[in-house]
Amino acid sequence: MVFRSIERRIVAVFVGLLALVTSLTLLLVIESNDRVVSGESERRLGAGVRTFDYLVAYSQSQMETAASVLARDFSFREAIATQDRATVLSVLRNHGSRIGAGFMMVVSLDGMVMADTLAPGGKPRPAPFDGLLRAAQATGQSAGFDEMDGRLYQIAIVPIMAPGQIAWVAMGFNVDDSWARSFSAMSGLGIAVLAESDGRTVVPAGSLSAELRDALGERSALPPPDIPILMSLNGQRHHVMARPMSERATAVLLLSLDQAEAVFRDLHRSLAVIALGGAVLFILGSLRLARHIARPVNTLAEAARRIEAGDYHEPVPDSGADEIGQLAASFDRMRQGIAAREQKILRLAYEDGLTGLPNRTWLLDRLGRTGPTPPCAVLILDLDRFGLINDALGHAVGDRLLRLVGDRLVATVAPGIGVCRLWGDEFAVVRDGTDTEAAIALSVTIHAALQEPILLDGQRIDVGGSLGIGFWPQDAADSNTLLQRTELAVREAKRQFRGYALASEIGAGPPHEQLSLIGEMRDALLRQEFEVFYQPKLDLASGRVTGAEALLRWRHPSRGLIPPAQFIPFAEQTGFIREITPWLLDQVVARTAAWRAQGLNLVVSANLSTLDLLHSGLAPLVKRLLASSGLPPGQLCLEITESALMDDPDLALATLNQLAESGVRLSIDDYGAGHASLAYLKSLPVHELKIDQAFIFSLMESGKDAEIVRSTIALGHALGLKVVAEGAETDAELGWLKRAGCDVAQGYGIARPMPGAEVTGWMADQDSAVAR
Amino acid sequence: MIHRRTVLFVLALAACATEASAAELSACVTGPTGRPIPDAAVVVEGATVDPRMPRPLAAIEQIDRDFVPFLTIVRQGTEIEFPNRDPLKHHVYSFSAAKPFEIKLYAGKPAAPVLFDKTGDIAIGCNIHDWMEAYVLVVESPYFAKTGPDGCAKIADLPAGRHRLRLWHPLQRQAVAERPLVLDGADSIRIDATMEVSPRTARRKPPADKDDY
Ligand SMILES: [Cu+2]
Repeated sequence: MVFRSIERRIVAVFVGLLALVTSLTLLLVIESNDRVVSGESERRLGAGVRTFDYLVAYSQSQMETAASVLARDFSFREAIATQDRATVLSVLRNHGSRIGAGFMMVVSLDGMVMADTLAPGGKPRPAPFDGLLRAAQATGQSAGFDEMDGRLYQIAIVPIMAPGQIAWVAMGFNVDDSWARSFSAMSGLGIAVLAESDGRTVVPAGSLSAELRDALGERSALPPPDIPILMSLNGQRHHVMARPMSERATAVLLLSLDQAEAVFRDLHRSLAVIALGGAVLFILGSLRLARHIARPVNTLAEAARRIEAGDYHEPVPDSGADEIGQLAASFDRMRQGIAAREQKILRLAYEDGLTGLPNRTWLLDRLGRTGPTPPCAVLILDLDRFGLINDALGHAVGDRLLRLVGDRLVATVAPGIGVCRLWGDEFAVVRDGTDTEAAIALSVTIHAALQEPILLDGQRIDVGGSLGIGFWPQDAADSNTLLQRTELAVREAKRQFRGYALASEIGAGPPHEQLSLIGEMRDALLRQEFEVFYQPKLDLASGRVTGAEALLRWRHPSRGLIPPAQFIPFAEQTGFIREITPWLLDQVVARTAAWRAQGLNLVVSANLSTLDLLHSGLAPLVKRLLASSGLPPGQLCLEITESALMDDPDLALATLNQLAESGVRLSIDDYGAGHASLAYLKSLPVHELKIDQAFIFSLMESGKDAEIVRSTIALGHALGLKVVAEGAETDAELGWLKRAGCDVAQGYGIARPMPGAEVTGWMADQDSAVAR
Repeated sequence: MIHRRTVLFVLALAACATEASAAELSACVTGPTGRPIPDAAVVVEGATVDPRMPRPLAAIEQIDRDFVPFLTIVRQGTEIEFPNRDPLKHHVYSFSAAKPFEIKLYAGKPAAPVLFDKTGDIAIGCNIHDWMEAYVLVVESPYFAKTGPDGCAKIADLPAGRHRLRLWHPLQRQAVAERPLVLDGADSIRIDATMEVSPRTARRKPPADKDDY
């Protein structure tokens, strides 16, 4: 049995022990009482039998004496000798009534009844107790029990001598109920005389109730003589001993056990009452004791539960100076320690160490990571060109810049609006409520506030940035997705050179359409609705096209061509990207190998997502594809964004190392848009750096951007990386890039993305144009 | 010793009566086991008797609270006296049909002897001492004797002729049938007879020193 409460356990132990002791005592008492009762009843039965024997012998000797006295009476003898029957009868009657005899008789020597008080006028007849008479004839006199005219008598027969024997005198006592009652009164036992009469058992005498008598009479077999036995009569238990009286009569002495046990039953009842009372007292007492012990323990347990639930404010109540009190005191010290540590941990967990602002974790919690939270608008700010600034001016300056940006944000927004730093150069502002207008107004205010250059060590630095606006919980089912979508909105805003973009605008329309897109993606792969487009890359030094970037397109049967930005985020969210990427790689490797077979050797790049990098099967897959196609690994280049590396840098690095080992080229995509520093990139096994197109767009307008691009190219070369510029659209840009030492350029200025089949034709046109 | 003298006396009378042709009967009575039975009466009946033959006075004494002799055989018409030799009184009685009588408490010699004028057996007791008993057999014939300790009795001077032999004992269990007895002259006849007799030890008297209450 398991007692979860100490209180119940204490009570159970105490009461259980008491119950054990009490029941043992009761058992002992009952057992010894039974022994006493049984011994006592046997003793009483034995004494009863001796009393019985004594009384029988006593009344026999009484009769013998009386009969002898009578037999010697001179006148009586004379009356007999002279055949004076009337005198004889009157003497018999007189004598008999004096002693209380049931009958008196004179029997002749030849066994004929000559005078009988029971039948005064009767004719002579043979004596009915011939057995006793024969015994008397043999031994001179006799006594015993015999039946006569249906009644049982104790009979004594003595001779009448004158001086030779002239007759017998016989007398008898009635063995009847009053005889039995007087015996019973004397011995304290019940008695019944059972006699055989015409094959039936009759009870001629007894001190018992009529029912007991009947019950005894109905028993076919007489109990064995002189052995005490237990007998159940009318449901009452009796100790019984049989004492044979004659050949046909047996006295049964009875002692009611129930009666004998009655005394002890009273004792048992008192004992049981005492035991019950004791148990009640014990239960109350032990409950009191248990409460006394358990209450402080329960209080402690309650306090422990509060602490477990994170409530450290309530002090543990003082419970005195005993052991539990000491425990409570140390418990309270522990509570204070935990509270202090948790405060610290919370600060560390929810605070950004650099800016002192709340961090990404705080934001995720605010967005209901641990439960439902009120609706809000999340504005994510991504600074422009921060990576380049970081690399160009150094980490220390970058960090100070981030702190100043944080300060400015806090100063800009109204009190009650939360500002936090997500990571790198990304900040988030959380505004309660989902008022779109207000959120947009806030975005415009923040965007405007960042237009003002930041003064750092006397240097004016243009930061600027773009914002994405997401609404919780309308725009995403969970906090991570909301951040992802809002970050996508940031990118979209940057791409469109706008101050802000709404997350709800990204991903084509209302949520239900997105859902259907997600569902259709799977079928799209089967129906081969995906296509790979290729955008040629120009080697600036040689002026030749040496590579291409593979770009995924979805030719939707009803919506037409869907750009990657509208479905890739969902493919990443749902994990479906894991099925798309292998397909894409297969297509790319096959296409590149086909070109190679035609004598066109291009290095073709394909984009990997975060999930791909975290997928341990990627590197083996790439190896397999290369091996089966026979394509040299160097002709395949895989592009990874900075942010893709950030989720699990260790695992991502492992995958990159495996890929690098297989000889595949690796490229960092969108460099400058994120926060990763060159120092970190230096530790990666990459071969190429792609400068984010945002820098290239403003190359000609912003001297600062030009400076950043120039220094980035220099740094890339210093690290031994090939530098690729994206988004080159004009000849001026191409010329600038060539002069700056950029290795490769890609953009509309060279070629738009085109179906793979058109590439060879386009190449041929280019060649001929060059030739012209 | 009194009873032996009486027997001798009777035999002497018989010898005087029929001197010429006298036979002698010797009868021995035993129990079924061969034990000799004393105090059995042997009576020869049917002989012609001289009516003048005297009937001498007999006596049954009370000595040391016992009747002596135990058995007395007398001819019809004999008187018996009951002299008391004890220092205490006796109450002699008989309820027997042949001679019911009673001699109330007396000491010494009673006033008159008791006449036994009818034949038959008479049981005599003492109302004070239950164990005291004596028997008188009253017969017609003068030819009788009682057996001694050896169980034998002798009757001399029996006349010749056809007679009946009768055996009787006070404690006999069954009456013994008479048997014919033919005597012719001076024969000496021996007869062996058996009879069943109750032992006389049934009622013992208490010692004398306890008797003085
Ligand atoms: Cu006497």
